[in-house]
Amino acid sequence: MARFHDLTVTDVTKTIRDAVVVTLQPEDAEAFDFTQGQYLTFRRDFDGQELRRSYSICAGRQEGHLQVGIKRVEGGAFSTWANEDLQVGDRVQAMVPMGSFFTPLDAASERQYLGFAGGSGITPLLSIIKTTLAVEPGARFTLVYANKGVSTIMFREELEDLKNQHMGRFNVIHILETDAQEIDLFTGLVTQEKCAELFKGWIDIENIDTAFICGPEPMMLGIAAALRAHGLADGQIKFELFASAQPGRVAQRVAAKDAASAANQAEIAYTLDGATRTVSAGKETSLLESAIANQLDAPFACKAGVCSTCRCRVLEGEVEMVANHALEDYEVEKGYVLSCQSYPVTDRVVVDYDQ
Amino acid sequence: MDMRIEDYLAEGGVLSNPTNVPPRYRAELMKLMTSFVDSELAGAAGFADIINQGPGIAERIAAARIVLEKTDHAGRVLRVMESFGVDADRYANHHPWTARLDRDADIGATRGNHDMRLAVFNYPLEGWTDAVVMNLLMGCAVAVQMADFQKLSYQPLAEVFRAIAPVEARHGELAEEGLARLMAEGAGEAILASVSYWWPRVAASFGQAGSPRFEALRAMGLRHTGNEALREKWEAAAMAALARVGIQPG
Repeated sequence: MARFHDLTVTDVTKTIRDAVVVTLQPEDAEAFDFTQGQYLTFRRDFDGQELRRSYSICAGRQEGHLQVGIKRVEGGAFSTWANEDLQVGDRVQAMVPMGSFFTPLDAASERQYLGFAGGSGITPLLSIIKTTLAVEPGARFTLVYANKGVSTIMFREELEDLKNQHMGRFNVIHILETDAQEIDLFTGLVTQEKCAELFKGWIDIENIDTAFICGPEPMMLGIAAALRAHGLADGQIKFELFASAQPGRVAQRVAAKDAASAANQAEIAYTLDGATRTVSAGKETSLLESAIANQLDAPFACKAGVCSTCRCRVLEGEVEMVANHALEDYEVEKGYVLSCQSYPVTDRVVVDYDQ
Repeated sequence: MDMRIEDYLAEGGVLSNPTNVPPRYRAELMKLMTSFVDSELAGAAGFADIINQGPGIAERIAAARIVLEKTDHAGRVLRVMESFGVDADRYANHHPWTARLDRDADIGATRGNHDMRLAVFNYPLEGWTDAVVMNLLMGCAVAVQMADFQKLSYQPLAEVFRAIAPVEARHGELAEEGLARLMAEGAGEAILASVSYWWPRVAASFGQAGSPRFEALRAMGLRHTGNEALREKWEAAAMAALARVGIQPG
């Protein structure tokens, strides 16, 4: 089960107008020993509701500190708080580093890497680049870094420093959406076509061992298509996606309109794959079994409250969940239940498998 | 710049962590993972009982190795499930994986009520030869399935499948080697009887042709090749494997 640990903020530095780099000192340093490219998941209460957000580590493994980059997202409670209110000395809570956006390093190898970052997608790549160049003295790394304009380039100076420090082994190609550059190719969006042009003279695509991509969805699709078209296998392409559409603030659970009656029957409205159907079912039957009995294709697997495949959200009414070995407290607070373990209490229950 | 995650997936996009997996995708992904884990655990548990029936040391080592590695593969996928909140220790022990139905039970492709193993893993093995035949036919099926699984849109799981595919392929080879030895010892008739028992049961595990679920799963990038096409690939691979050891099923 996921566990949160306490960390102390030891530094907050603004990199560009709407992004900060936060340095953290974990209480349990061993637990936070990370691999390059991993992320931390933070939790914080906003007006009584817990929000969880994941941010990539931007430090190199050998740097001896834990650092994440947090870019402010329009309307995002957590990133706004981190950018405006977070201060040195504050305590925050996070889970241990997770994620698989990395490949094993080997000091003896002479591999060539290619990275693509869009905006704040630079954070995990910075960690990967710093670590790789330090651990693999024979490695070469090319970064294609897409931004709106010069003023929104996160870690611009750090990247310049890395170039000087690892002369000839690290190269950055900045692609700017709006600011014109000397070379036309470096203006616009990083699309499949743009990649194909870059592969002609700027990037030695034939000798690339591994490519890393972290950016918005359309950019990832275009780059992946270009890489595959140039012969890279799926196993050579590593993705990291933090969708712009991480679920926002959740609405409060609707209170039960009617109390439980003596009758042993309940009306259950199921929403599944966009369609809603209401069925009448006995209160001694689980939400899942009633759904299946009514030919609804509700998801399930273990039926023992362990795997959480059958998770759904109660929007109205009340149910009793008799066992739960998979959902966490904050999910339960939001109204999520394991439908295989939940029985109607009120006469009307509304559940949604699509949320 | 904003793109719906559903559109991203439909266009071949890849997801990389649990934080932005949509609910229905999560459910289908969990189903896929539990089906794999349950099949591996049930398969390994059933095969464990057969180890001592191996006619020699080499056969017993091969069987023990298959049990070990299939259990390990279940563990690796369970670790991915763990990142979605599943209690892996509890999961591994929540069900008696050795439980089997009668040899003649007529369940078609229906799974049991309490786990998600493929229907074929609900049938008991009858001795060493039977186990080797089942492993060969299932080994070919796994190879076909693995080729599709490696293209999965959930990267951490696709990576697990890419890592275990060669090991699973080796299990099929071990079964073929075992079968060749049995053939040399004149077990042809018993082998044929087992082939005709297991063939329709393994075939049924590919599901029905034209399944409407397939389209939904394909849109999420969780499936790529249709049931019918997978079964045809398996039939060709299994026929070829049997032919290599000199068996012509009627």
